[in-house]
Amino acid sequence: MARISLQHVSKSFGGGHGPSAVKDFCLEIEDGELIVFVGPSGCGKSTTLRMIAGLEEATSGAILIGGRNVTHLPPKDRNVAMVFQNYALYPQKTVYDNMAFGLYVRGEDRKEIDRRVKAAAVSLDLEALLDRKPRQLSGGQMQRVALGRALVRDPDVFLLDEPLSNLDAKLRVKMREEIATLHARLGATMIFVTHDQVEAMTLGDRIVIMRDGVIQQAGKPLELYDRPANTFVAGFIGSPEMNLVNGQLVEDGERLAVRSGDLTLRIPENTFATQEKNVTLGIRPEHLVIADGSPLEMSVSLVEQIGAQTYLLGMIAGHKMRAVFERRDEIRSGDKVPIAFPTERLHLFSSAGGATLRKTEGRVAVHAKECA
Amino acid sequence: MVQDRRVVALFIGSILLLGVIIGGPLVYAIMLSFYSAKSFVGELQWVGLANYAKTIQDPLFWQAFANGLMIALAAIFLQVVLGVGIALVLNRRFFGQSVVRAVSILPYFLPTVVACLIAQWILDPNYGLLKSILASFGIGIADWSAQGVTARGTIVLVSVWLWTPFVITCVLAGLQTIPTQLYEAARVDGAGAWRQFWHITVPGLRSVLVVVILLRGIWMFNKFDLIWLLTKGGPLNQTETLPTLAYRKSFLEFNLGGGAAVATLSFLILAGVMLIYLRLFPIDDAKQGR
Ligand SMILES: Nc1ncnc2c1ncn2[C@@H]1O[C@H](COP(=O)(O)OP(=O)(O)OP(=O)(O)O)[C@@H](O)[C@H]1O
Ligand SMILES: [Mg+2]
Repeated sequence: MARISLQHVSKSFGGGHGPSAVKDFCLEIEDGELIVFVGPSGCGKSTTLRMIAGLEEATSGAILIGGRNVTHLPPKDRNVAMVFQNYALYPQKTVYDNMAFGLYVRGEDRKEIDRRVKAAAVSLDLEALLDRKPRQLSGGQMQRVALGRALVRDPDVFLLDEPLSNLDAKLRVKMREEIATLHARLGATMIFVTHDQVEAMTLGDRIVIMRDGVIQQAGKPLELYDRPANTFVAGFIGSPEMNLVNGQLVEDGERLAVRSGDLTLRIPENTFATQEKNVTLGIRPEHLVIADGSPLEMSVSLVEQIGAQTYLLGMIAGHKMRAVFERRDEIRSGDKVPIAFPTERLHLFSSAGGATLRKTEGRVAVHAKECA
Repeated sequence: MVQDRRVVALFIGSILLLGVIIGGPLVYAIMLSFYSAKSFVGELQWVGLANYAKTIQDPLFWQAFANGLMIALAAIFLQVVLGVGIALVLNRRFFGQSVVRAVSILPYFLPTVVACLIAQWILDPNYGLLKSILASFGIGIADWSAQGVTARGTIVLVSVWLWTPFVITCVLAGLQTIPTQLYEAARVDGAGAWRQFWHITVPGLRSVLVVVILLRGIWMFNKFDLIWLLTKGGPLNQTETLPTLAYRKSFLEFNLGGGAAVATLSFLILAGVMLIYLRLFPIDDAKQGR
């Protein structure tokens, strides 16, 4: 097991002259940490992972695993194991041989190979499948074999590239739990790539959110939820998405407020930098509350009953917003619901660039801390 | 329904047509082998298995069989090894790749007659290009067609030149079907180029190679034109194979029954070998193992 240090890692394809897929990526991953990379399609998650594995060469920057500079080493000298999105099991080999191959190639003793493969098979519930070929397995079973292949190697780092994306919803949840259990048991350093934010929130010790090859924010799941560094992160984490409203900072009596059309909301004191005039106000749907007598109303246009919760879509003072409440059977579309905005739940972002205006979280602090 | 019936009719019709075109001559050849005949128009005389008895006792038949086998095995081996090797090189990305790929399959487009003429032109022991080039360095060459080994070797060489491109093309196509992720998985697992070749490339090419070896095997074993054009079976029957023997008996010695018996036996041997081969190496790899 090992620490991983990514220092100003960049990658551009096409002999280093093409558009860059990853830009100035800086991250320190602690020994035994489970890090999740999330972001929309094409944001460079796989490319970063493949650079750590050694399948792509970094255009610039350095990669250290366990203090060793591996930037220019081939994959076999990095002692990493990787689980691919579509598993990449060797189709002509049995489950046993798939798992044994990495050990066999490294010249491991036959008895030792057998012991380790059997042990991995037991822990992943694959004993009955050892003689099968990959095409005779279900998606979930293939996924476990791919994990097993990584497991037997006892690598310094596990790299998992969207390992659950080919599974159905139920199996995903189950495998997610299995990976979490496995991580807890092994205490191994793991990097898990996904574009599913629920997977990211539930699995990650820390989450790294990327966009267009650039880290937007890296932090504990609830940190990202509570203090998103910019509007992109605010929109990406949390479901349904955070409501965002563009407006101006104005004086409202003693206090500062954000005004946008008919909507004027006071903001908490001493929380945000207030030099900029044009700002974006954010509030999560689940933080809106129903408050009888509130001057603000939501005219509901859509009601979605999820079971435990009720999702509303409607207009508040001329702004389209979403709201989430504990189950409310009586609300119908067309209703007017009195809504209040708890002041301490508000987020404020700069309209130019979308960075947070929260004082404790300097705009560049996240990036600077990692790259220092 | 009407359409269904029409489809069935067309289907049966085409089967019958194929049966007549392919089966007819086959049946006629097999039938001939039970008769004694001096020409296709003359009287046929029933002799039972006499043609077969004579053929089996003829050492020339067994020599021809051995020659054919030797030539076929050597040619297939070289064609496959070279074909895979060249395909692997061509599969890498390099400058001028498409041109080189196109040039590499050129020999396959040559008619066998032309190819054999070119080969003789180069190799002719008296007037050949090779001889004059070597002669200018003061090196003399022996007559390749005067010795069994060199004559067979020349046949193998020309066939390798002509048909390796076929193998290259098939293998190149096969290589495209192997997912690159398998190579990446193997690299992460720690496998070097050699292990990747044996554990990923070869298994991935398995179905292609099974078919290529089957086809090349049948074609080489039945090869007539190339051998006839280069050596006519000589020297002293050293390059005689079953097809040339059947031809010689039928059309030069006017022993139609004997020629037909050789051809029929050759057909049976080939069919037997191919059945065993397909049993050992099923084309559909799903049938292999469990
Ligand atoms: N081999 C390549 N050659 C050229 N461009 C590439 C190559 N691989 C990736 N890219 C580009 O790099 C960028 C990042 O790709 P990457 O595969 O890392 O995205 P990702 O975050 O993994 O996306 P996804 O969620 O769809 O898997 C994309 O714009 C992609 O087009
Ligand atoms: Mg990806």
